[in-house]
Amino acid sequence: MDNTLLSSSLNKSFGKSLLYTLPMFLITFMFMTGGRLNFSDPYSLLATLIAFLLVNILYFMMHYSGKTDRYRVVLFIIFAMSLSFTLIKNMIAIRSSMSFSQADVLECKIPFCHLVIPMMIIPAAFTKSIIFPGSILNGFANISSMVVLWLVATIVLGRGFCSWGCFYGGWDDGFSRIRKRPVIKHINEISRWMPFAVLFMVALTAALTLVPTYCDWICPFKTVTEFEQVTSLESASKAAIFISLFGGLVVVLPILTRKRTQCSFLCPLGAINSLSNKVTPFTVKVDREVCNECFKCVEVCPLYALSREDIRAGKVSIFCSKCGKCVDACTKNAIHYGIKGVPAGHLKNFSRNLFLFVSFLFLAIFSAGAIISSFQSLLKLVF
Amino acid sequence: MTDSFILGLSSGSACLVTCGMVMFPYLMAGSAGVKRIAIDLSLFLFTRFVIYFILATMAWYFGQAIFSNPLVRNFVPGILYIVFAVMLVWYSISNSRNPKCPAEIVKTVNDKRLVPIFLGVVNSLGFCPALFIILTKGATQGTLLQSYLAFLAFFVGSSLWFLPLPLAGQIQKKEVLKTVGILATGLAGIIFMIKGLTNLIGGIING
Repeated sequence: MDNTLLSSSLNKSFGKSLLYTLPMFLITFMFMTGGRLNFSDPYSLLATLIAFLLVNILYFMMHYSGKTDRYRVVLFIIFAMSLSFTLIKNMIAIRSSMSFSQADVLECKIPFCHLVIPMMIIPAAFTKSIIFPGSILNGFANISSMVVLWLVATIVLGRGFCSWGCFYGGWDDGFSRIRKRPVIKHINEISRWMPFAVLFMVALTAALTLVPTYCDWICPFKTVTEFEQVTSLESASKAAIFISLFGGLVVVLPILTRKRTQCSFLCPLGAINSLSNKVTPFTVKVDREVCNECFKCVEVCPLYALSREDIRAGKVSIFCSKCGKCVDACTKNAIHYGIKGVPAGHLKNFSRNLFLFVSFLFLAIFSAGAIISSFQSLLKLVF
Repeated sequence: MTDSFILGLSSGSACLVTCGMVMFPYLMAGSAGVKRIAIDLSLFLFTRFVIYFILATMAWYFGQAIFSNPLVRNFVPGILYIVFAVMLVWYSISNSRNPKCPAEIVKTVNDKRLVPIFLGVVNSLGFCPALFIILTKGATQGTLLQSYLAFLAFFVGSSLWFLPLPLAGQIQKKEVLKTVGILATGLAGIIFMIKGLTNLIGGIING
């Protein structure tokens, strides 16, 4: 009884939840429609309406139920799948294939991806050039807009970007929820630092070779976006590597561990985002006064960001992506969204409302285009 | 040269944190300030440079002798790369990794002025998988100059970590640095494993 009361302290009445959803409703309407509905294309209209309703219903449910991760993950997975679907559809329409040729590279026709950012910094500082064959200002996913979007999102959300803004995180997040119980329960503690080692290596190799080595050799998400044409032993090796990594770290291991293993052990951008957790105003706090040390939060954390020692010390590690899974799992409401400078246990509702508004807005805006486009294609396919 | 530099840089970080704490008091022993530390450090690095120069020469001549047979040249370097790279990866993930540094042997040296030179020798000849890989690379180069360049890149990469050694006592997150360094060494191992595999496949294709 006591637990129920405590856990329900984050949820709201129907009317109040609707009131909290109203700003999101207006902003997403303006963003998705540009202020006016296009009645000339019924598919586009219907797809926009479905995406708009989906986004706002999920946001409403976050307030109404008091649960965060349960609804965040729905949009996060749809976002990842829609983006891949849209990108592949566009690539096939333009190139008749998911692969790109050397001519596409030379003409800088490769859409920019935020995972390139860690490799760009050193070469950009020393050579004043961008080591990625994309367009700086023009076209779909150009470099300048993507860097600005990532920079703003990561300063505001810290590693929250990995659970609320990343284009690909939904893949391993989705696979990590397939099994009810993990088969592999323990990992070597030092593995948590692997993304920093990957960051070190890819930043170094990219600086020395002026090639975005992570994208060139490693990135597992090339399997669900685009990749280099296999024309030599080298390109075949690259394909073998990224397909194996996708199979292993995005599909198999997340299913076996119930964790986001690609994000936990490989992604170099995750390492940079972890560091940005130091500057973001939002955080996750542990209220030691009400914590009963059941460690459910440690068990469910998808990024190995929590340990028993962390909870006993009343803090979360820099790896936290603020996904809200631990907050949802805590029956005592001891672990909660917070604002730096405000002591743990204070302003729980206010902090959550503020964080949810900002983070969900990023997710909604990032995902809207891809979701509308893929819904539109699906509608055309069905009707 | 790039891969040699990366190998040196990645293994150097772990080496610094493991051995640096042993070397630091000796390099600082009896020093009167920055000048003394700089002299000791220069002696240490110079010794390493000389040892690597000798190793590059030996490795290349040894390579010329054993890799003259085309069959051996096509297969053995690839296999050696894979074996040593697996050792390097194992070193990075193994819990039974020996945390002791061979440089601890300097405790037996009485003349403190010789310590930097002694440390340089011990550090260069501390036979670890990274050194085996660079020896393989040196042995398989086309010319002696290329072998020197490979070792030079390895030397520069691994030496960069020793330059701020006098400040080692100030580093607060030593464990984090050590962990990231060890993991990066494992990743360097994976790079050489791929290199070994492509060498081997290339060797098979070329007959």
